[in-house]
Amino acid sequence: MSLVSTHTLARTRWLLGLAAVLLFLVGHAPEAQAQSSSPAATVDMTNTLSFAPDTVRVQAGETVRWTNGSVIVHTVTADPEEATTDESVRLPEGATPFDSGTLDPEERFEHTFEVPGTYRYFCIPHEGAKMYGTVIVTPAE
Amino acid sequence: MTISLPHFFSSSRPFGQRLLRRGAFVLAALALVLMVWAPPAQAQEKMSEKEKQMLAQLQEMNQADGYLEAHRDVQQPMELLGGPLSFTIRQTSGGVFVSLPDNRTLDPDVFGTPDQPLAFTGTPGITGVPVPMRGVSDGQFTQFERMSPFGDKNTTMANGNLMLQATDRTATDAATTEDEVMLKASWEDQDGNTYAIRCCEMLVSAGPEFPTFGGVVTNHILHGFTGIGTPLMPTEYTYAAFWGMGAVLKNGEVVDKPRIVHGMLTEYVRGENYKLVSDSEVTPTRRHFHLMVAPFMPVKGEHKFQPKDVATGFELPNGMELPFWHVMFENLEIESQRGE
Ligand SMILES: [Cu+2]
Repeated sequence: MSLVSTHTLARTRWLLGLAAVLLFLVGHAPEAQAQSSSPAATVDMTNTLSFAPDTVRVQAGETVRWTNGSVIVHTVTADPEEATTDESVRLPEGATPFDSGTLDPEERFEHTFEVPGTYRYFCIPHEGAKMYGTVIVTPAE
Repeated sequence: MTISLPHFFSSSRPFGQRLLRRGAFVLAALALVLMVWAPPAQAQEKMSEKEKQMLAQLQEMNQADGYLEAHRDVQQPMELLGGPLSFTIRQTSGGVFVSLPDNRTLDPDVFGTPDQPLAFTGTPGITGVPVPMRGVSDGQFTQFERMSPFGDKNTTMANGNLMLQATDRTATDAATTEDEVMLKASWEDQDGNTYAIRCCEMLVSAGPEFPTFGGVVTNHILHGFTGIGTPLMPTEYTYAAFWGMGAVLKNGEVVDKPRIVHGMLTEYVRGENYKLVSDSEVTPTRRHFHLMVAPFMPVKGEHKFQPKDVATGFELPNGMELPFWHVMFENLEIESQRGE
């Protein structure tokens, strides 16, 4: 399982989020460890329909954290089944698709990348506006 | 080259060249331009007889007039093929995009070329863009030389809320309509002011200048080359749209009423950096909802519009009041069903 943590943490739902994390720790102890470590890269989602920075580099096993710093709802989506054009998603061979679901303002999403390669992801409501991002995952040292 | 021109364009030379060569014509055009987005009272005073005549001619040439004449007095209009179509469109979280005044890039597919212009008749900005109001460079139109609600500039506002419940029953424009619309929409600026639109106390059962299909239309194509709604928006497949009379509110109080409110669920017409795209660049596989309170009012008893700024209560950075609302909702829940 390369898909590790997909739970979002809203400030307003902090307790709920904490409960979810605890549940994860109980049910999926090995996988959840990635979430407790600080992310290797952070990406902001903006009012101007961009992921900032649009490209980040991490090592295999490291986590990227996205924060919706805008007033607009966004998603972080690297699932070809959610895309309506081929250019919106690119996954390395063997990588599992992921999708944050709807992220309201101030909500966060984390994903830990296990398979090295270049990931192209997009935002579902702003696919037409080409809200794209890239994660480059290098092999673990 | 000889081309057939509307009679107020007296020369047979291509528009672009003529525009460059005839200073007087350009001046007249500029005056007309100034009139378009200015308040009507002021505008009427500033316009010369010649300019008024040109505007009247453009309005008289409106291409939908014959069609509307055949429909507007129909007392028992036909029903939609397949029966009524009801739909609900909601946004319950996330913000909105608010258009700011901007120049619109002119798409040759919609506006033609200076040699062979298209889409210039009707009330300027409503159904046409007069040729003298268009920028020209290298034998092509460049942009609408006036600010309008249809451009790339925009800002975002928080806490967008949309609730639209509507039914499309009546097929055509007519004297009456069985269509229904209930719309409540709101959003908040950075200072915490809330802006809202309520609609519709009355639907536009027959359009003054373009068809409105009983006030609600479903599964149609609007704007751009269609002549239905301003050509300054790209040609766009429209899942549902309405036109009606509603109210504009700020912080819970009505600040402008009655106003023409237009909403539509369309394919996605924005590109990178939220640029308003040309016809060939729309994204047919994504959708968004547009809400519009245009800076125009229909002229009573006449089949035309005149400019009238909307009192939005939202102040632009330059201190001016935003004279229209053009707001996009993109975090949508959509439901629809056939039958009563
Ligand atoms: Cu987005």
